[in-house]
Amino acid sequence: MADRKPIYLMTPALLWLTGFMVIPCLLILALAFFRRGIYGGIEYDFTLENIALVFDPLYVGIFIQSAIIAGQSALIASVVGYAAAYAIAAMPKKRQPLLLFLAILPFWSNYLVRTYAWIVLLNREGLVVAVARALGYDQELPSLLYTEGAVIVGLVYNYLPFVILACYAPLARLNTEITEASRDLGAGGWTTFRRITLPMTVPGIATGFVFVFVLSIGNFVTPALLGGGQFQMIGNLVYAQFLTANDWPFGAALSMALIAVMMGLLTLQTFATERASGGRAEGDAHG
Amino acid sequence: MTSALLTIRNVEKHFNKYHAVDGISLDIKENEFFALLGPSGSGKTTLLRMLAGFETPTVGSILLDGEDISRIPPNHRPINLMFQSYALFPHMTVAQNIAYGLEMEKLPKAEIKSRVNEMMEMVQLPHLAGRKPEQLSGGQRQRVALARSLVKRPRLLLLDEPLGALDKKLRGEMQLELKRIQDQFGITFIVVTHDQEEALVMADRIAILKDGKLLQHGTPLEIYEYPQTRFAADFIGVMNFFPATVHGGTLKSADGTSFRAEIPDTISAGDDVMAAVRPERLHLGAGEKENSLTGTVRAMAYHGLDLQVHLDTPLSPQPVMLRLTADAAEGHALSVGDSITAGWSARDTRVFAA
Amino acid sequence: MGNRAPLPFMLAILAAVFAFLYLPISVLFALSFNEGGMPTAWSGFSVKWYYSLFQDKDIIHAALNTLIVAVISTILAAILGTLLAIGVEIRRRKGRFLETMIFAPMIIPDIVLAIALLSFFSLLDVTMGLHTIIVSHVVFNLAFVCSVVRARLKGFDWSIVEASTDLGAPILVTLRRIVVPVLMPAVVAGSLLAFTLSVDEFIIAFFTAGAGRASITLPMQIFSMIRFGVTPEINALSAIVMTVSVVILAVSQRLNRGGLPGQ
Repeated sequence: MADRKPIYLMTPALLWLTGFMVIPCLLILALAFFRRGIYGGIEYDFTLENIALVFDPLYVGIFIQSAIIAGQSALIASVVGYAAAYAIAAMPKKRQPLLLFLAILPFWSNYLVRTYAWIVLLNREGLVVAVARALGYDQELPSLLYTEGAVIVGLVYNYLPFVILACYAPLARLNTEITEASRDLGAGGWTTFRRITLPMTVPGIATGFVFVFVLSIGNFVTPALLGGGQFQMIGNLVYAQFLTANDWPFGAALSMALIAVMMGLLTLQTFATERASGGRAEGDAHG
Repeated sequence: MTSALLTIRNVEKHFNKYHAVDGISLDIKENEFFALLGPSGSGKTTLLRMLAGFETPTVGSILLDGEDISRIPPNHRPINLMFQSYALFPHMTVAQNIAYGLEMEKLPKAEIKSRVNEMMEMVQLPHLAGRKPEQLSGGQRQRVALARSLVKRPRLLLLDEPLGALDKKLRGEMQLELKRIQDQFGITFIVVTHDQEEALVMADRIAILKDGKLLQHGTPLEIYEYPQTRFAADFIGVMNFFPATVHGGTLKSADGTSFRAEIPDTISAGDDVMAAVRPERLHLGAGEKENSLTGTVRAMAYHGLDLQVHLDTPLSPQPVMLRLTADAAEGHALSVGDSITAGWSARDTRVFAA
Repeated sequence: MGNRAPLPFMLAILAAVFAFLYLPISVLFALSFNEGGMPTAWSGFSVKWYYSLFQDKDIIHAALNTLIVAVISTILAAILGTLLAIGVEIRRRKGRFLETMIFAPMIIPDIVLAIALLSFFSLLDVTMGLHTIIVSHVVFNLAFVCSVVRARLKGFDWSIVEASTDLGAPILVTLRRIVVPVLMPAVVAGSLLAFTLSVDEFIIAFFTAGAGRASITLPMQIFSMIRFGVTPEINALSAIVMTVSVVILAVSQRLNRGGLPGQ
């Protein structure tokens, strides 16, 4: 096939992406340097005050709070996800695809609905309370919903299937003979796990952790629905700038900061995976 | 008389209805290089895994130094296994891999270090101590795997198809190398292989397995010259087979020719049998041999060391093969289509039930 | 993996995780059939909430909008994404920049893309409505279709294309009669994926729908129902929406034997 042809095939899509993704994103980048107008419009004066505002302790604090929540969610999801993936990989080989499918299935359903389900469970007249009452617990229960804990549960719930998938891949690829060799040389089950299985499957955990963290920190829906009005993460903040406070330049600056944080994390992850992947070749199961 | 180091007693292994190992008994001695030889599906790998502790016998027991170890988990047995894929820990260096087993024994750091260094010297690896497995060649990886197991000074070392992954030349070198190491360390080696040539070269004694059963065991010479089953005769080396019937003290072939052989007691007059002769036992020209056959040269293959001559004969539906050394072939210019006579001794004829 | 860890323990972990994953969803489903509509008590099996869904004009309107957006954006994405995939895989030289462009829509946080598009449309003084949602959805949909089709292309035997050319077919005919039919399962699978993503998509739709209720989509409707007043209809709506996405994706999976993100 002539090399000329491919360009024609790709052009329509690339034009679309350029026009409706690249340019809008560049626009946001530019927007961060403009001034908010008195009535909420945009004044096209170059200014750095939005960028400076991002570094204001108030907003830095919100970034940090978002990072902490994202970090906790990522941590919990990673531990639970790894345990689940390990369990699936320990099942008879024939059952594994089915189990994996069942683990991923919830991930395919609507994100809003999955988050809403937790409202049903956690709110004042929700299921958890109903069960507690049924068990005879009559006192006033603290509100479970609209707390930081609820947001974390929501985030973990939404991203857990992906972590399971990410951790499953290296676990399934692990050559059985390597763990058997460890036992043959005298190591017990826990030592084998700690010194052989875990180090060799770390890339999967890293991928899962970063995925959850990155998606959580920029998340808007979950903190909005499960965190209630008072709850502010970066996602909600950006939303507010654009739809209530009408300070688009500042919102743009915040988004830029968010992207910067994400890019930093992704680079770190690529770096860490490359270091750990020194062992990929021999660790894979041979035919 | 030295009592056996390892006794395998009536061991069977069932997977649902399938008997992977179907009643095997063997004694293996100290300081012996033993081979478990058989085609795939013969149960040899399953038997090896039972010795290592990764499978438990369904029936029977395994005794090490008189003690039943059948139920002891692999990490508590003084037996080590060298895996077919070597199973080196990819995230550890060569030195760390070798040290691993010693760390499990909770030895003091200094002792571990010195034993690891000693072992690396012995397998000629000291310059590779800091490398990771992916940076090593196949032969080097194998030596690391060997070192990792040997450094623990096990009572018994099991090797699962140790030479399968190596190229031909390396394989030849490693066969001798393994023998040398076994001799030097004085540890009993049990090798599982499907390559009969390998077994013949390396082992002090061989056990032939088929379909989970033990067919025969003995020294390489015994196995080669005196196979007790037709399968063993065919599996080891190359063998010529002729169908025949027993008449009196002689065998009568399909085309009526008589020939002499030592007929085993289990076979009676009138029985149908398969007679067998090794290609190198067939000589050009009838000479003074008791038995002879005539045939037409169908093909010839020169192998440097010997000349293989394939004859079409009425004696057998398959072509018969002669192996002639350079001396024997000298003076006889053979071509395809020639009619020739070959002779062999009665005592070189093997007889098996048909 | 080895049979080391005790099996009952592993089963317990699996049971716990699956319970966690499926409990909320199951509760929603159960609740949608609950006469009383509240989780506090079960007052009997009823499909009345489903009935009232179909009476609710707002919801029907939103559903229709969602369907229009999904169908149109999927068709556009299928064409653009497939062409892009073929173009990329034919090229001998792979550009890093090109790869980044193609993956970007899937990696960018949706809120950033949402505000970028909002700013863009505002700047151009475009009246926003279903058309702007469609345009925006095509952006990430084409990336997903492209990724699914590319996966299929990686195992593609190019010699059949050469055979077609050798037998005299011009390029477009070869594309139409040889390449496209072989790619069809992947294109369909990618399209189903795009369709589902569009149906479920909330943030970008929310920001690019413009003012007023004319171009409200189903996820937007659900969001405001959750935010501003929970009526039991939501449970029925949720049940339907979930089932639809899962069924479509399962069918897509079957068609393409995997190759979706997540497999």
